[in-house]
Amino acid sequence: MENLNFIDITFTTAVILFLVGFVGGMVSGFIGSGGAFVLTPAMMSLGVPGVVAVASNMAHKFPKALVGAHKRHKYGQVDIKLGVVLGIFAEAGVLFGKHVMVDIRETFGAAGTNLYVSAVFVVVLGIVGGLVLRDAIREKRGEATRKVSDELPPLARWVRRLEIPGTMIYFKSMDARVSFLVLAPMGFATGLLAATIAVGGFIGVPAMMYLLGLPALVASATELVIAFVMGLGGTFFYALDGFVDMRLAMIILGGSLFGIQIGAIGTTYVKDYVVKFVMAAIMLLVLVSRFFYIPGYLSELGTIGTLDQGTRGTLDSIGLWALAFALIFGAVMILQALYKGMREHRLAEAAALAAAGPVVAAVSPEVAPAAQLSPVGRFERFLVASDGSEFSAAAVREALNMAGKCGAQVHVMSLVATGVEHEGLGESFLKQELAKAQAHLDGIKGQADAAGVACETHLVQGNHVDREIVDLAERVRADVIVMGRRGRRGLARLMLGHATAQVIGQAHCNVLVVPRAAHVEGRHMVLATDASRFAETAAVTAGALAKVCRTPVTVASVTTASHSPERRAEAQEAVARVVAYMQAEGTTAEGRVIEGEPADAIVGVARERGADLIVTGSHGRTGLERVLLGSTSERILNETPCAVLVVKAA
Amino acid sequence: MQSRALVTTLILGAASAGLYVLLFLFADQFARMAEATRAGEKLYALVPIVVAMVFSFVHGAFTGQFWDLLGLRAKK
Repeated sequence: MENLNFIDITFTTAVILFLVGFVGGMVSGFIGSGGAFVLTPAMMSLGVPGVVAVASNMAHKFPKALVGAHKRHKYGQVDIKLGVVLGIFAEAGVLFGKHVMVDIRETFGAAGTNLYVSAVFVVVLGIVGGLVLRDAIREKRGEATRKVSDELPPLARWVRRLEIPGTMIYFKSMDARVSFLVLAPMGFATGLLAATIAVGGFIGVPAMMYLLGLPALVASATELVIAFVMGLGGTFFYALDGFVDMRLAMIILGGSLFGIQIGAIGTTYVKDYVVKFVMAAIMLLVLVSRFFYIPGYLSELGTIGTLDQGTRGTLDSIGLWALAFALIFGAVMILQALYKGMREHRLAEAAALAAAGPVVAAVSPEVAPAAQLSPVGRFERFLVASDGSEFSAAAVREALNMAGKCGAQVHVMSLVATGVEHEGLGESFLKQELAKAQAHLDGIKGQADAAGVACETHLVQGNHVDREIVDLAERVRADVIVMGRRGRRGLARLMLGHATAQVIGQAHCNVLVVPRAAHVEGRHMVLATDASRFAETAAVTAGALAKVCRTPVTVASVTTASHSPERRAEAQEAVARVVAYMQAEGTTAEGRVIEGEPADAIVGVARERGADLIVTGSHGRTGLERVLLGSTSERILNETPCAVLVVKAA
Repeated sequence: MQSRALVTTLILGAASAGLYVLLFLFADQFARMAEATRAGEKLYALVPIVVAMVFSFVHGAFTGQFWDLLGLRAKK
């Protein structure tokens, strides 16, 4: 048995491996498939034996597949049962493929596995690269590459009609039963290819689309489950024979995770056929690179006459340079597309902002006399965040309703989450997600147009919904952010959604929180005041809103048993002052000073008065290091069934 | 807000860098472990799996934060 011969990793080798991982990650994010077809040959060109390159590649890949599968499962795109069943058969393929590799290695040495891996690469990349290039050329000419049809491919129809008793398994994604005798060879072939060149998706995704009739999105998402199952098993099986070089795998992973995001985002700035051209070009260049190494391996094995050192060196150099060119070409194309696209986008945004005209400077209600406050100016722009859930639907409904009353413009945003999960996909997943979110936004715009409300939509991509909302609110100079209570990220906090709580803490403008069943109809408003500077600001804002909507207001202050007589007198005085101010503005207002637990008392008054809106102050702009939101305000938000406007102090 | 994101990125970056330092400090042990697995200590085969998972989650979280902080965004 030959020794393992893990390569020596010097600083230079480490830097090269990191860069190779970076470009490989970028390529895989850009073309939506695993970058292993770049990474395995690159490692081999650095002197890593083929079997170690494949094994280490699998080790760096499977955790990424797990993260991707988990995230896409949340979008309902993964058929876990199908993924696991195919994954198990793929595992058999991996095991078989690994035995073939080990046998070849033990019989013919490292040159044998190198030749085997290279030959499979040449054949597979020739077929796949050729098909992708054909698609790209057709798309550029404007010909459709695939008929858009709801009909199943003929093979899939046959597979679904096939009934072999005792072998049928039901799959939810297809709503059909399929014999495992069909799935077994599909999974096996996927695993065999993965164990040979570390890219199983070249077989798995097309097989699921054409043999099972799955949509591309479901096929590519389910492939991530297969990739995880076989990657985990493959790593274990290869590790049993000590073939996994952790240093190699982790350096590649280090670069690849940096690259993936750039690649995935790059796809949003280019046309589909450009992505396919880049993909085909890289595949064919890698093919050429591997091809030039083959004579060297054949010579080592004695199949052809011994090559003299000069010829071998020249051929290996051509192989190395072809690969280097493939990597550099891929990197340059992607970075150029990204830079150009982002610059154009920024210029377009700046032009749109300039066209919108000068914006009226926000006036601090604390320092401005009430008479100078323009209610229309204060409620001029609403920003509502929608994730398509029933919770955010209420926020959208009320934002449009209130904007209609105030004559305000509504900005609606939707966020598409991105990250590592875009690696290893058969189709441009990000684009499809963006299209879905845009369709959702277009639906809301339609509602706004029907209601006669000016509406602008914003499709935002990022990882932190709260940060994106606050950033956009500042960019569009929103006066009020409208949010649902308890969105999809609501598990972090029991009732009030985590994102909503974060936005209230971080936003400079006011935040209107709308529970699912709330309707702001202008019946009655309760203003909670505690004589603090936050409450004073809330009073001015509530007064302005009540005037616009002609809503009667109850100004409420709560004292507790422990409060001194001076404190109670102060509360009475604060309430009387606010009531007088509102009445002077022409609003029907009454004052209440209640004793009890503050949040319960305010919620109680709102219930008693049939209020549909509570206005409260916050504890100012806060971050993690400070209190996110006043505890009373937070309890009110959690306990009341009506909408709550949290007014931020400037 | 920006500074909080910066702190999170720096913490994750430090954790990730720490993992890489440890990986290279113990590189020889990893190589010996691979040899030992080949020789019959089959339980060591689980080590690469655990290492890959830990690196992927820590470094993945860091790179996500990193690009986010630099404002790399998809086209709207």
